[in-house]
Amino acid sequence: METETVAGGYFGRALVVDLSAGARADVLPLPDHVLRAYIGGAGLGAWLMHELAPPGVDPLGPEAPLAFCFSPLVGTPLTTSAKFAVVAKSPLTGLLNDALASSHFAIAGKLTGHDAIVVRGACDEPSVLIVDADGPRVEPAGDLWGLSADDAETRLRERLGKAWRVASIGPAGERLVKYATVSHDGRHAGRGGLGAVLGSKLLKAVAVRPALKVAPADPKAVLAAARDLRKRSFGPATAKYRELGTLANLLAFNAINTLPTRNFQAATFSDAPRLAAEDLAEARGVARDSCASCSIGCEHIYKGADGKGTRVEYENVFALGPLCGVSDPDAVLEASARCDAYGLDTISAGGTIAWAMECAERGLIDAPWLRFGDAGALLRALDEIAAREGLGALLAEGSRAAAAVVGQGSADFAPHVKGLELPGYEPRTLQAMALGLAVNARGADHNRSGAYEADLSGRHDRLSGGAAHVAAAIGTEDRAAVMDSLILCKFLRGVFEEPFPEWARLLSTVTGWDVDAEELAATARRIVLAKRAFNAREGWTRADDGLPERFLSEPLEVGSGRSAALTHEQLDGMIEAYYEARGLHTSGLLKSAQIRDLRLGVERNSTRSISAAVP
Amino acid sequence: MADTAGIVLAGGRSSRMGRSKAALEWHGSTLLRRVVGIVGRAVDGPVIIVRAPGQELPSLPEGVEVVEDAREGRGPLQGLAAGLAAARPRATAAYVSSTDVPLLHPRFVRRVIAALDDGADVVLPHVGGYPQPLAAVYRTALLETVERLIAEDRLRPAFLFEACRVRRLDAAALLEDPALAALDPDLESVLNLNEPADYDAARARPAPEVTVRVFGALRRLAGATADPALVAAATLAEAAAATNLTLDEHVVAALNGDQITRDPDAPLVAGDTVAFLAADAGG
Repeated sequence: METETVAGGYFGRALVVDLSAGARADVLPLPDHVLRAYIGGAGLGAWLMHELAPPGVDPLGPEAPLAFCFSPLVGTPLTTSAKFAVVAKSPLTGLLNDALASSHFAIAGKLTGHDAIVVRGACDEPSVLIVDADGPRVEPAGDLWGLSADDAETRLRERLGKAWRVASIGPAGERLVKYATVSHDGRHAGRGGLGAVLGSKLLKAVAVRPALKVAPADPKAVLAAARDLRKRSFGPATAKYRELGTLANLLAFNAINTLPTRNFQAATFSDAPRLAAEDLAEARGVARDSCASCSIGCEHIYKGADGKGTRVEYENVFALGPLCGVSDPDAVLEASARCDAYGLDTISAGGTIAWAMECAERGLIDAPWLRFGDAGALLRALDEIAAREGLGALLAEGSRAAAAVVGQGSADFAPHVKGLELPGYEPRTLQAMALGLAVNARGADHNRSGAYEADLSGRHDRLSGGAAHVAAAIGTEDRAAVMDSLILCKFLRGVFEEPFPEWARLLSTVTGWDVDAEELAATARRIVLAKRAFNAREGWTRADDGLPERFLSEPLEVGSGRSAALTHEQLDGMIEAYYEARGLHTSGLLKSAQIRDLRLGVERNSTRSISAAVP
Repeated sequence: MADTAGIVLAGGRSSRMGRSKAALEWHGSTLLRRVVGIVGRAVDGPVIIVRAPGQELPSLPEGVEVVEDAREGRGPLQGLAAGLAAARPRATAAYVSSTDVPLLHPRFVRRVIAALDDGADVVLPHVGGYPQPLAAVYRTALLETVERLIAEDRLRPAFLFEACRVRRLDAAALLEDPALAALDPDLESVLNLNEPADYDAARARPAPEVTVRVFGALRRLAGATADPALVAAATLAEAAAATNLTLDEHVVAALNGDQITRDPDAPLVAGDTVAFLAADAGG
């Protein structure tokens, strides 16, 4: 039988482990044409979910697969390439969710000899999955159950050895909190509740140890490219990340009425300076850190009042600070630390709590202790969510589900799209981003859509969304799809003057394929549409692309006195224009030719139930 | 449909100035560029420049439209007709300005616009004892009236004012707006430049005082400057220079918490706040 040659940087296979059968392992061949069509990371994950997730699967049921997806660049000297995607059907949204995390797990996981490691089924007891040269096996982990992800990782590595790398869940994942994270080395595949998926399988952690090597097609050229990229990574395009980290956004966004405050009731926070990176760095002492294989070093770790260090980003400070009306930096650092310890997505936690604060203040829920600006209330809410106790039992379901229970119009101000809570970008003052948030497959997401770049470029009026914003939003989606599949960190994006040609050259150098910019652009579109197609299969409808009523009926005012308003008509107009520009049917569904281009089910010669419009 | 467009008449002969007023240098930019930018900040509709047939104009920001007088040398009503014709499908009214008003403040423009109500077709400021037809708001529906007057060779603006409903605002009425009273107490918004001496005197004035803030990693580049800082700057380029920043692809500015721009010629006026931000907002 003729064996297909595997492209450089790949093993050409995924490991599929059935936890219900005592870690029975199957090898799923990943043919060259699939890898070339989806690359790796988020793209490969989307393809795997189409192939392995039964239609309508319960995200927390044993049949639901979860994939750790690597990429051809992982393990090369290319800066920021040590990243992996965790992909599954989200228990929070019921749709496709891919979340990226970084560092050594990516390299070790890939060097077990697989381009992806997929788990499905469920263990009989709390367990860890171990994968190395001897293959996969499941071991009891009762002693780890209840520990933070970080402690579980530490203990497991003490047991197994330093060569092992671990991805784990915290107590929130164990208790199936719908926005529980999967964590590795203090970094999180945060959004969409993938920690709950593992928790439902009683899988506390996945531990991997390298077993094989894989070479790029042209190692010398890769090394040269790596040296060049590293040099460029020290330039002005990454200065913000190196010097202050993403928290530098806080004061800047506050100055332009873009800092979501008190559940998006406002877009400036008078106490923002108390949480500013510029001053926290001086007052608190800050340490920097970086992921494996990264020359940028964006991580900024601040000391809390107890002297312990907490890594902060803009998103966790906005969500646990201004969004909840909390201005005490010690409280925000403590809240961030608790989210890390419990394994909670800070954005969804902050958004859900902020929504609950507003409900409490309006008298819609009986929680007199829960008020905007009350740091103690914020911390109590986090504790209850992680424990699924008291109000936390409701809030652990996320703001969409909680609003469905509370009713009384609370859905109008539940800050989510498709069930995923909004990140720290105010849609009414960033109207290209408003579109990006509304149409994104994952939900309200600032990573799969970077449309804020258009709003903040100076080329468009950010307060008047229209046709120009549509093109810009699509451009950022496509670029994100490629970066999340190659995988390269988005903080590097500013160093690429011509992204698609440069990325195509990088990919060609690693794989040996002759990829050009045009092919890569088609790959980007395919990845974006593959996610949309999965969602359509799982019940997405046109009504799911939109924004909560608050954003469409409550204008804001910016510093000049101009009104920042976004109407239903405006947003619907942009969404329709987005569908047209993407070549979709007016319903937002893929046309038949687009579904064929997804190249799904080819290997199994099976038909798939994918909704499509008649061309 | 937008409420108000902006129309800038650039087609005058500039005979007393001796050279094109539109192209006169103003703090590294031009008079026309400045006035267009100021008017654009205050209206919600298109900004339209009316030039003489074949007239060359200095560089302009993206999105500004240019139309031509049907005939040269027929005075402001001819230019008004061309401007109203372009604006009418898209706005119910238009603020009309001359080119030679470098001290025009957006607050003045907004004050005049705000005075247009159902009982008026024109809002006409009176400053220093003189009506200011090129610092006024006109309903775009006046187009037919203006065209009729042109056809009848009745070319003075006063003929138009006899034929429609005019609300006149004297200085006291204008300065009832407290923001305008604070930012332009002497109503220098209507100060126009007719002769070289006028231009020299205006150009010699200090640039307006604006507040500058620098955020994030840019603070290091800006050096040990106070934050916020007061600087004299008539354009964004001058504000950046005063703050030791270079307006390159890594820097953007937000004017008054509103428009994001990298345009070095973006005009600044007294009371403006400029926030310099890193162009990369990812996080």
